[in-house]
Order: sequence, then structure tokens, then C-alpha cells
Amino acid sequence: MAYFIQLIVEGLATGSIYGALALAIVLVNRSTGMINFAQGAMAVLATFVAYALTESGTPLLVAIVVAFVFAFLSGAVVERVIVRKFEGGDPDTAVVVTIGLLTLFTGIAAAFFGYEPHPFPSLFPAESIDILGVFISLRSLGTIIVLLLVMVLLQSLFRVTKMGLAMRAVADNPQSASLSGLPVSRLLMIGWGLAAGLGSIAGVLVAPQLFISPSMLDFALVYALAAAILGGLDSPFGAVIAAWTIGIVENLAGAYVSFIGDDLKIAVPFIMVMIVLAVRPQGLFGRKVVVRV
Amino acid sequence: MKNFIANTKVRGLALAAIAVFLIVAPLVSSPFMNYQLSLVAVYAVAILGLNIVMGYAGQVSLGQSAFLGLGAYVAAYGILNDWPIVLVFVLSCLIPALVGMLVALFAVRLRGIALAMVTISLPIIGVPLAKRFSEFTGGSQGTTVSWLDAPDWSGLASDQWRYYIVFAIAVVLFIFGRNLTKGRIGRAFGIVRTNEAVAMSMGISSYRYKVLAFTVASMFGGAAGFLYIGIVQYTSPETMSFHNSINMVVAMVIGGSASIIGTVLGAAYFVFLPAISGQIDPTQTALISGVVLLVILFLLPHGLVSLPRRLIQLIARARQKLNRAENAGPEDAGPAQNETGPVSAHTTTDVSESHPESPSKNT
Repeated sequence: MAYFIQLIVEGLATGSIYGALALAIVLVNRSTGMINFAQGAMAVLATFVAYALTESGTPLLVAIVVAFVFAFLSGAVVERVIVRKFEGGDPDTAVVVTIGLLTLFTGIAAAFFGYEPHPFPSLFPAESIDILGVFISLRSLGTIIVLLLVMVLLQSLFRVTKMGLAMRAVADNPQSASLSGLPVSRLLMIGWGLAAGLGSIAGVLVAPQLFISPSMLDFALVYALAAAILGGLDSPFGAVIAAWTIGIVENLAGAYVSFIGDDLKIAVPFIMVMIVLAVRPQGLFGRKVVVRV
Repeated sequence: MKNFIANTKVRGLALAAIAVFLIVAPLVSSPFMNYQLSLVAVYAVAILGLNIVMGYAGQVSLGQSAFLGLGAYVAAYGILNDWPIVLVFVLSCLIPALVGMLVALFAVRLRGIALAMVTISLPIIGVPLAKRFSEFTGGSQGTTVSWLDAPDWSGLASDQWRYYIVFAIAVVLFIFGRNLTKGRIGRAFGIVRTNEAVAMSMGISSYRYKVLAFTVASMFGGAAGFLYIGIVQYTSPETMSFHNSINMVVAMVIGGSASIIGTVLGAAYFVFLPAISGQIDPTQTALISGVVLLVILFLLPHGLVSLPRRLIQLIARARQKLNRAENAGPEDAGPAQNETGPVSAHTTTDVSESHPESPSKNT
């Protein structure tokens, strides 16, 4: 039983990392209607900034804040300079553009830091605490708490603040938003910036575990995409629930179904996604889009 | 200038020149160069499949490497068990085609991102599966097959012999692909891509044609896998990895989507970019590739294949501007003239140039 609970908590922790990236994907999708395949690569570059700073002796927390700011700015610049031209165009071209960004950002990280993985210091102590016979690592607990905080902050940004309201208006209808005097261009930049910032949080959380390398988040990105699609691309809440479900199911299936084991557990979430999409193409929590011809 | 290119005689001559080049090239170049050229043929076939489903039929597919890998495994298994070679080739086309069709039967109900998601999961599931069924695939180490050595009567080295075999098969597949995309089915793909409602109203089932496009694409992927085993003589789960798929999509777009020549250019890019940038600095390959892709998307949205047309367009525009400047001369330098002049000139050139700008991708 203790092992079972441990598996669930570990699953929640990995799920939280997918969740942070999935939130970023949902944020971009809600503001610009695109799927950013480069979300992971942008996060890795920001994490490398934090890595370079800690290597030169900056305290970890300061390095992480700088990385977040860097990610925010790079996201905003990418939106303004590159992505803007392709918004509202052919969705296939948009996919290819973000794949180009994925290659570009991986390339920048590789050009500066090479492909070998480097160790990255953890925010949380590498200890486990004993709760009623269940050993839970502080790292897992910390990761889950950070994600919860981020989700609450994001939700209140969208629900409580005026800027959140404006961003929702732009996502809903850019034309009328612009006619009512909202600075659409700036809000789109902020949307991409925030998404990139969220990504950098995921990067910093996962780097101690995976070691930092340019392709560190490639698989996490695919999981995050699966979570975002499973949860419905317009629902941040759904994305996080789906990310947790993926983390837990993957962990349990790997441990208890002997055919699946540790090597095939990666297939589980994707088969889940395929089944869900076959039954409900709009995802579990998404709204069905009706197109008028 | 345009007529000059469209001229069938010139085109025939160009084709003949290319054919002569392709036949003579392996006799005079190094074994490494022959290997690279053969790889271009292999990936051209795989990217042609990708182009049929993505460029012509407009359905995102990020799973092409899974079919390439599957075809390679089938080929390797068949050859190691001494099956007749024709049977091996047919199976390494048919098995991936069947898998592709089964996936497409439910996947094509989705569009855009969801479809991208389902197709990208094929290589992601494929890699651990290939490692698991190690009695067929050789696990993580992969399988090595040595075959397709040059027979004595030919007097060729093995690399030259393999080059000719692979090119012959690739050319046949390309003729097949070209006829498919230029004919009735190709037109149906085009209308499914641009507007499904219109397709339906014409009695074209978009569902069936999308499934067909995926099936054909997977078949080409499998055939490319067979050729891959012919050239590389080795395959491992890495062949399937989704990076390979993504790079193929990038190469296809750089070459030119919905274009047969673009497919070949894309394959050449796919093979030669790592080789060239590897000589400068291997860690820069991804950086260069990303920059090239974004520059192409900005400047040449129809890919490298549209470069001559675009250049002609730019030259014509520049010439027109020059003529106008000369005609305008010093005598009518009135401000009113100057204001209306350039604007009207601009709009007329745009209208006249929107015609050669083919109907593709204008949705």
C-alpha cells in the first residue's frame, strides 16, 4: 500500500511538470490559436540561462528569477518578430513555423552549451519525509506545490485582474477587442511571454532530475501536448487534471502491468489519447467547435 | 523567360541532362558521395509520401519515420530469412500501408493539432515497441543485413550497384507518385485540402480520400525503408525516432510542399545539410537548420522550388520600377503625380502577378 501511494505521488510530481508545460501550451493556444511545438525548447534555453548563472556563482533563486524574465522577454520577442506573420493563417504552416522555432532554440542551446547533459542544482533538498510509513521525496512534494501555486496565480490572473479580462477578450475575438481600444498586439506578446515563463518554471523543476541538455524537454513536450489535447485545448484546469492523470496512469501501468514494464510505459498516455480522441474529438473538458460554412 | 522554362523541348532536354548526370555520377565520384546520393533517393521516396498526405491532401503527419522504420524492419527480417526479394519488397510496402490505413481510419476524423498529436505518437510508441520485440528487430542494437553486393558480371563496386538499384526503384515510385498527384486522385486531394464542404458537394468523400492519402504515404514510407536497408544495411529503433519525422517535415517544407521537384530538393537538403554543417561544426546543425527554415517560410513560402519563379517576379518588378522612374523623368515632378504614380503601379503589378502564383496554399 505504501508503495502504491508512493507511486501515485511520484506520478503526480512528473504529471506536474507536464502540467506546467501543458498550461503554457494552452495559454498560447488561447491567445493566438496556435500550438507551440517550441515551448519545450524555449524553456530549455531559459533553464540554460539559469544554469550559466549558477555556474558563475549566482544564488539559485536569483538565477531562476532571471531565467523567468529571460523566458518572458524571449517569448514576447518571438511572438512579435516571427510568429506574428503567421497568426490567423494556414494552421499547417503555423505548425511548421513552431517546428522551425523548436529546431532554432534547440540549436541555440546546443551551440552555446553542447549536447552533453550537465547537472543542475535542485531547489528542494534531496531528502524524503516519512508520512505514516510512506516515503515521499521533498522534491516531488515541492514540484506539486509549485504547480498548484502557478495554477492558482494563472487562474486569478485571468479571472480577477483587468489584464486577464483583456487577454480573454483578445483570445475570444481580436477584431472587436481591438475596436474596443484594447492593445491587441501588446496583449498577444504578453500571452506568449507568460507562456514561455511558465515553460521556464517546468524546465527549472525538471532539470535536477533529468540533467540539463538541449533535448531535455522533448519528451515532456509531447506528454504536455497529450495532456493539453486530452484536457481540451481551451481549458487550463482540464490540462492540469489530464497531466496528473497521465503521470499517475503511466507510473502505475509501468509498475503493475508486467507486459508494459518500464520501457513501454511511455506508450500508455498516447494510447489513452488515441482512445479519448476517437470517442470525444474535442477532448475531455474542451468545448466543441462548430464551424459555419 | 517564363515561356522559356515552360517550353517542353527545354524541359525534355533538362530531364535528359539530369538523367545523364544521375547515370554517370556514381562512376566518377567517391563511394561516400555515392552513399550520400543514394540516401537522397531513399529520403526522397519517404518525403514524397509525406508530401502526398501533407502537401497535396493537407493533413499534418508527424509520423512518417515510424513507417520508414517499420518498412526497414520488415525488409531486414525478410532478407535475413532468405525470402524471395520481390516478396520482401512487396511486404515492406504493404505492412506499413496497412498499419497506416488502420491508424488513418480513425485519425482522419481529427484535424490540425489533434491529428498532429496522433501521428507524432506513432514514432513515440514505435521506438519502445521495436526494442521490446527484439527477436524480430535486434532490440536497441538494431539489425545489420549485408546484401545487395554487386554481381561479378556487372563490373561495378557495391556502392555503385546499390546506387543504381535504389535509383531505379525510386524513379519508378516517383513516376507513380507524379501520376497519382496529377490525375483524378490528386485533384480530389487538392479539393479536400482547400475546402471539404466543396469536396462533399462534388460527391468526393473527404474521409475516404484522407484515408487513401495516409495509406499511400505509409506505403511510400515503407518502400523507403526497404531502400534504406539496401543502402545503409542497418536499422535500429533510432530510425523511427520522432526527430527524424520532424526533420522530414522541415525538409519537405523547405523543398516545397505539393511539388514533386520540391520533394527531391527537400531530400537533398535533408541529407546534405548535416553533412555540410558537420564539417564546420556539428553542434551548429540544428541552429542552421532552424534559421534556414524560418528564412524560407518568410521569403519563399512555397519552398526552394519556387525560387526561380520568385526571382523572375522580383526582377520584373524591379524592371517595371526602373522603367517608371525613367518615364516619369524630370518634367512631371509634380507632387500629385508622384503620390498616385507608385501606388497604382504597385497594385497593377500585384494583380498581374497573382496568377502565376499557383493556386496551392492560398487557403
